[in-house]
Amino acid sequence: MSESADVKLTTAGFDARCWQNYVDYFKCINARGEDFAPCKQFYRAYHSLCPNEWIEKWDTQREEGTNPSNFEV
Amino acid sequence: MTTKFMNRSVQAHPFHLVEASPWPIAVSFSLLVVTLSGVMTFQGYSNGLFLLTLGFISLVSTMTLWFKDISREGTFQGHHTFAVQKGLSLGFVLFVISEIFFFISIFWAFFHSSLAPTVELGAHWPPAGIETLNPWEVPLLNTVILLSSGATVTYAHHSLIQGNRAGVIYGLIATVALAAVFTGFQAFEYYNAPFTFSDGVYGSTFYMATGFHGIHVIVGTIFLTVGLFRVLSYHLTDHHHLGFEQAILYWHFVDVVCSLGPGALRAPGSKEWARFAGPSLDLLLASPKAAFIAIQEVREPWFPRLNRFNSIGRKVFED
Repeated sequence: MSESADVKLTTAGFDARCWQNYVDYFKCINARGEDFAPCKQFYRAYHSLCPNEWIEKWDTQREEGTNPSNFEV
Repeated sequence: MTTKFMNRSVQAHPFHLVEASPWPIAVSFSLLVVTLSGVMTFQGYSNGLFLLTLGFISLVSTMTLWFKDISREGTFQGHHTFAVQKGLSLGFVLFVISEIFFFISIFWAFFHSSLAPTVELGAHWPPAGIETLNPWEVPLLNTVILLSSGATVTYAHHSLIQGNRAGVIYGLIATVALAAVFTGFQAFEYYNAPFTFSDGVYGSTFYMATGFHGIHVIVGTIFLTVGLFRVLSYHLTDHHHLGFEQAILYWHFVDVVCSLGPGALRAPGSKEWARFAGPSLDLLLASPKAAFIAIQEVREPWFPRLNRFNSIGRKVFED
């Protein structure tokens, strides 16, 4: 299983799990630094769950500062 | 004993067979113009706004003339027997129920978007970038104003039933004054709001709800003002004042939406909602037991005497 058990997502589908892992990865590296190994789990999870178009769109939004999600813990 | 003369000018039933009137078709046509020109305006077609203004003036005029006729038929021509009154009351109550359902649909749309905000909004409510209004400022004041107007209109109604003419007039003037103040504050809020109708689903749901509510407040105010003029003109009696009672029912409906509205609409996502609603909906769905424990913790400082029921809950969720 490539995602962690998150009680908020037990009833959620791919969209929510994809998004949650994307946000959690960036929260993780913002809090612990890019080299913190356990963050990789989130990275693998969102790359397996999310459509590439979404990842590209969210990455572009993050670079422009227009991503509405909160990446700070 | 028989009589050779038959009185053919008296109807042998209590109902009102209305005379031919141009007002229903005139109102229908005005509504058609208003709706079509409304769409023209929203879609940016030329002359849309001009036609909308014409249609609106036409609508208000034809409706006024229709209701004027109804008022004449009842007050001066004696057509509103008890049977007719029952029909008019039932019809109006059904209309108010349909309006309630209209607002249910607006509230549904709001809760659909606000309780499970999408990732495009940042999965939280209010959406990222929206600066919300403080529900405890103007909204709370407006709620109090409308609830007070409900009290003054009840005073006016009781005065009418008791035959206290001065009471009715002052009560109605107070009600209409409070309604006008409410409308003024709401206009102030609209003018100074940091977000518009186009600001995503937040703006849409907020202005749909408050906008339609505002229109109903204005219509209700007009209805009550007409009642005031009729009272001044001695149209109403202490036993027969259907139009007045209908105006009051409509006003209470407007009132209730405005008491529930601000509370429900401006709360989700705010700290107040979090405090009073306790655990979020998703925790409730994912783990009822965890939700129950969280509810206990939230409830304890606010309603300590309910803690005696904790043991029942523990038995229900026993592992």
